[in-house]
Amino acid sequence: MNASLIWLIFRKELTDLFRDRKTVIGAFVIPIAVIPAIFFLVSVSMSGVEEDARANVSLVILGDVEQPLGQRLLQTEGVKRLQPDDPLASLHEGEVRAIVTIPDDLERHLRQNGSEQIRVRYDAANDKSVYAYDLIQRVIADYEQEVVAERLQAAGLEPSVIHPLELVEESVASEAKMTGKLLSGIVPLMLILSLATGGIAAATDLVAGEKERGTMEALISAPVPAGSILTAKLLTVMVMSGISSVAALVSSSLIIQVGPFSANDGGFALGFLGIGSILLLVLILLLLAAMFAGLELAISTWAKTFKEAQTYMTPVLFAAMVPSYMMLPLVPADIPLLYYVLPIFNGSALCKEIFFGEVQPLHVVCTLLSSLVYVAAVIWLAAALFRREKLLIH
Amino acid sequence: MIELDSVTKRFERLTAVERVSLQIQSGEVLGLLGENGAGKTTLMRMMATILTPTEGEIVINGFSVRHQQVEVRRQIGILFGGEIGLYNRLTARENIAYFGQLYGIAPDRLARRIEELSEMLEMQDYLDRRVGGFSRGMKQKVAIARVLVHDPQIVLLDEPTTGLDVGAASIFRALIRQMKAAGKTILFSSHHMGEIEKLCDRVAIMHCGRLCYEGTLPRLRAMYGFTDLDELFLQVLEKEGER
Repeated sequence: MNASLIWLIFRKELTDLFRDRKTVIGAFVIPIAVIPAIFFLVSVSMSGVEEDARANVSLVILGDVEQPLGQRLLQTEGVKRLQPDDPLASLHEGEVRAIVTIPDDLERHLRQNGSEQIRVRYDAANDKSVYAYDLIQRVIADYEQEVVAERLQAAGLEPSVIHPLELVEESVASEAKMTGKLLSGIVPLMLILSLATGGIAAATDLVAGEKERGTMEALISAPVPAGSILTAKLLTVMVMSGISSVAALVSSSLIIQVGPFSANDGGFALGFLGIGSILLLVLILLLLAAMFAGLELAISTWAKTFKEAQTYMTPVLFAAMVPSYMMLPLVPADIPLLYYVLPIFNGSALCKEIFFGEVQPLHVVCTLLSSLVYVAAVIWLAAALFRREKLLIH
Repeated sequence: MIELDSVTKRFERLTAVERVSLQIQSGEVLGLLGENGAGKTTLMRMMATILTPTEGEIVINGFSVRHQQVEVRRQIGILFGGEIGLYNRLTARENIAYFGQLYGIAPDRLARRIEELSEMLEMQDYLDRRVGGFSRGMKQKVAIARVLVHDPQIVLLDEPTTGLDVGAASIFRALIRQMKAAGKTILFSSHHMGEIEKLCDRVAIMHCGRLCYEGTLPRLRAMYGFTDLDELFLQVLEKEGER
């Protein structure tokens, strides 16, 4: 292999790719702008729904509304009483959020130490109706607590008689650890997905695209060893994946700071990571980028046409998504050792440990060694396919 | 000089080229004729080391295509038929310069060579424009410049005048004559019989992967008794089909 030839091909590939609008949009614009925009729009839309649900709680209250419970419901902020002809139909149509039936002699029964059923009908498939139900439940619970307190007082007992234990909450997690926990979910997911997707357009273009356009044949007829061509293309795909993952990291930080999962402090979200953690993170991301790049180039070489390559790339996305989503709910203590040697699982698991600040040396060794084996395997496969003459001509 | 000794190429069950032996001397232009699928492109690809012969040997200026691939590639410039093989997002100059650099040409010499070729092929007006917006003829000229940038001793041209207008084709023919005078070995495949007659010293006709005639045009005319080249070509193929 010749380093100056690799550098020459690598520079040309990057120049060529950066002049392609599709590639630039895929690598930069989508992770940096579109993903935060989607999160922002979802959060705005969700808070809009919640605001409306709080401001307009339209209820049908059946039975004697003059009783204290009825009055409490009517005085609750946002509650409006409606009296449609067909309350149930109105509930189905979403005009009414819930129907509460207060028994006529509720107050009398309660004074006699009796109990009663309050029937609440709501639409569990409608978030606003569910919010109304929760509100009614809170009002009833408050009222019930008062009735219980009055009954205890009448019996000469303190409220603590029925609440002998009081829970005092105190978390020992530092702010950095809490930020790490927050990041350990979304950041590895976005990093791995962007590493996988960021190189797809480049890998497809650099081999299958070149075969289709006839430039591959021109390139392999030049006095350049196949190994140098493949190395330059591998580095190009890795760079595109890396750019995409950095863009994803920036957008994740933006989401975490200003989005729906916003962290409390306003500083840079990754500021709590030490230099060792950052180096380890970069190393594992490089190995993952090399693995994805090798795999994508092998697929692109195998494919006969550009379109065929695009189709074959879809499983790469799933291969990245499945482990990433499976790892999402796990904390480092829950991750089995096997995951540290499985492809993609290992990188995702180690990323989690890094963000949690609980890096185990055994896990680092397992992850790095197994990743090296996978990288070597996919590059060997890509090189073997790249040297098959019938796969390189269109 | 190109020497082919009983060259065969098989793709699984298909024999694309069968026991072809041929010699092309320095300073000679050989026209390669044959219908589509006759094996012309496969033969050229083997000479350019893109495909490896299944059997037989090809020697280019003393270098074996099996064992000295990089040396062979330095001797050769190949223009492919079909897709032109240019990077659409690079300018004409960038395309030519990239291949020049791959051949290890020094920057000063490369800049001079690009100017020389662009003048020769009359493409100064669009040298710094991106290739993506070019017509087929303009692209073909850039591709020819790419092939010749390292001043190869052996030039393999597969359908080189496809897409060229009358003026450009004439410029190209002048270029071929100039290269012949400079002692280059030129293998030229075309369906354009007039062009073959104007440029080639000898012709080789392929049919179903086999070489069915190799010699001068006057000799071929004498063998079949036809003067019209298209008719002559069809007669050769018909006779070959009867075998």
